Amino acid sequence: MGSDEHTLEGWDPGPIDGEALAEVVERAFDYRGDVTVVRRDGAELIGYLFNRNADGPAPFVQLFAAAGGDPVSIPYADIHSIRFTGRDTAAGNSYAAWLRSREAAKAAGPARGA
Amino acid sequence: MSVPLSQMWTVATYVLKQRLRRNRRYPLVLMLEPLFRCNLACAGCGKIQYPGHILRKHLSVEQCLAAVEECGAPMVSIPGGEPLMYPEIGPLVAELVARRKYVYLCTNAILLKEKLEEGLFTPSKYLSFSVHMDGLREEHDEAVCREGVYDQAIEGIREALRRGFRVTTNTTLFDGASAIRMQMFFDEMMDLGVEGMMLSPGYSYSKAPDQEHFLRRQKTHELFSKMLSNPKKRWKFNQSPLFLQFLMGKWDFECTPWGNPTYNMFGWQRPCYLLQEGYASTFKELMETTRWEGYGHKSGNEKCKDCMVHCGYEPTAINTTFVSWKGLKATVEATLTGRL
Repeated sequence: MGSDEHTLEGWDPGPIDGEALAEVVERAFDYRGDVTVVRRDGAELIGYLFNRNADGPAPFVQLFAAAGGDPVSIPYADIHSIRFTGRDTAAGNSYAAWLRSREAAKAAGPARGA
Repeated sequence: MSVPLSQMWTVATYVLKQRLRRNRRYPLVLMLEPLFRCNLACAGCGKIQYPGHILRKHLSVEQCLAAVEECGAPMVSIPGGEPLMYPEIGPLVAELVARRKYVYLCTNAILLKEKLEEGLFTPSKYLSFSVHMDGLREEHDEAVCREGVYDQAIEGIREALRRGFRVTTNTTLFDGASAIRMQMFFDEMMDLGVEGMMLSPGYSYSKAPDQEHFLRRQKTHELFSKMLSNPKKRWKFNQSPLFLQFLMGKWDFECTPWGNPTYNMFGWQRPCYLLQEGYASTFKELMETTRWEGYGHKSGNEKCKDCMVHCGYEPTAINTTFVSWKGLKATVEATLTGRL
C-alpha cells in the first residue's frame, strides 16, 4: 500500500480551534508537504510544519518558511486555520508506480537511465 | 567480527563508565543527519520525502559539532540524505576525527570516487565509509531503484580501499531476500576487501513508497538463521555478534531507542532514528522528556511491533555484552570462533 490514497494535499479544514485545531496540527505534522498557517490577525505563513508541542502550558508549532530563514514558532492560540497547500511529497511515487515505470523503460529498449 | 581493537576498547570503556555512573540511559552512536537531500530515491527509504526548500537546507558544521559535543557518544554515524552531497562533509569529518570520534560515513558511494579524488578525506582509524549495499547487483539496483548503482558503489569501494580507507558495507534486507544470494554477496564483499559488513532488516517507514516488502519478525528469524547458521570464517561483520544472534532468534532483546539518538535540522528526533514523533531542542530535553516506555517491542506500540532494526537493537546487544556473563561469554565465543 503506498501513501497515494491518503494524501491531504489541497485540504482546507477552515477555521479551527480547540480539539479540532490539535487534530489538524497532528495531521499537518505528519504531512510531507508545505502548509499555509493563517494567524488570527490574518497574516499567512507558507512553510513546512516540522514540529509541534501540545503538552506544555503554551502549545506551539514550528515551521521552516518556504521563503527561507530560521524556524518560526507559532502558538496554537494564534492559529486561525491551516491549509494543506503544498505538494504531498510522499504521495504519487509508490513502489508499484516505480515497478511499472521500470517495466515500461525495459520494454522501450536497453538504453535507459534511472 | 571485524571491529578494530581500539574501537572495541573505546566502546567498552565508555559503556563501563556509564554503568559505573549508574547512568541507565546513554547514547552509543549519534545519528547525525546534516541534510535530507539524496541522489537516489530508494523505494524503502522514508527519509527524503520533503519539499524542495527543506531538501536544499543543511546543518552548518558548527551545528553538527555542537550536537556531537552535547550527545557525547563515542561513535558518530553520518547518514542523510547522501552525506557526500553535504558541501561541508570534508571539514566536518576532519573535525570529528580530530575529536577522536569513530565516524561511519553512510554513503551510496555514487560520489565516493569523485570526492576521494578531490582529496576531501584522509585515511584514519576513526573514519570508515559505510557503503549502502543491499545485495548483489540485481538486488541492489532494484532496492535503490536505479540500474548501474551497484557498479558505481563497487568502483567507489575499490578506490577507497586503494587509498587506505576503512570501508564497511551496510545492508538492509527486505522480504523476498534470498539467503543463498546473500551468502554470495558476503563472499563478493570479502573478495573486494571490505573490513566488515553490517546487516539489518528494513523498517517500514510510513512515508516509504514500498510498504509491502518489509520483513516481519518470524521471517526475519528464518532468513537470518538460513544465512548465518553456518557462517564462513572469512565473513566479517562490523557489528555485535549478539545482534546477529538476535536476528536469528537466539536472543529476546528489547529496543534501546535512546542508544542511537538522531540529530538533524529539525532538532533531536523523538524517539529514534526511524520514528518521527516530534523534536526536542536539546539532547537533555530529548532524554528527559521522551516517554520511552511507549516504545519497543513489548510496549504494544504498533509502530514498534515488527521492528528489529540495528539502531534500536544493536545498543541492546552491546549492553548485554557488558551486563551479563552470558552476554560476555557469547560475545567472546562468537568473536573468537566466528560462529553465531
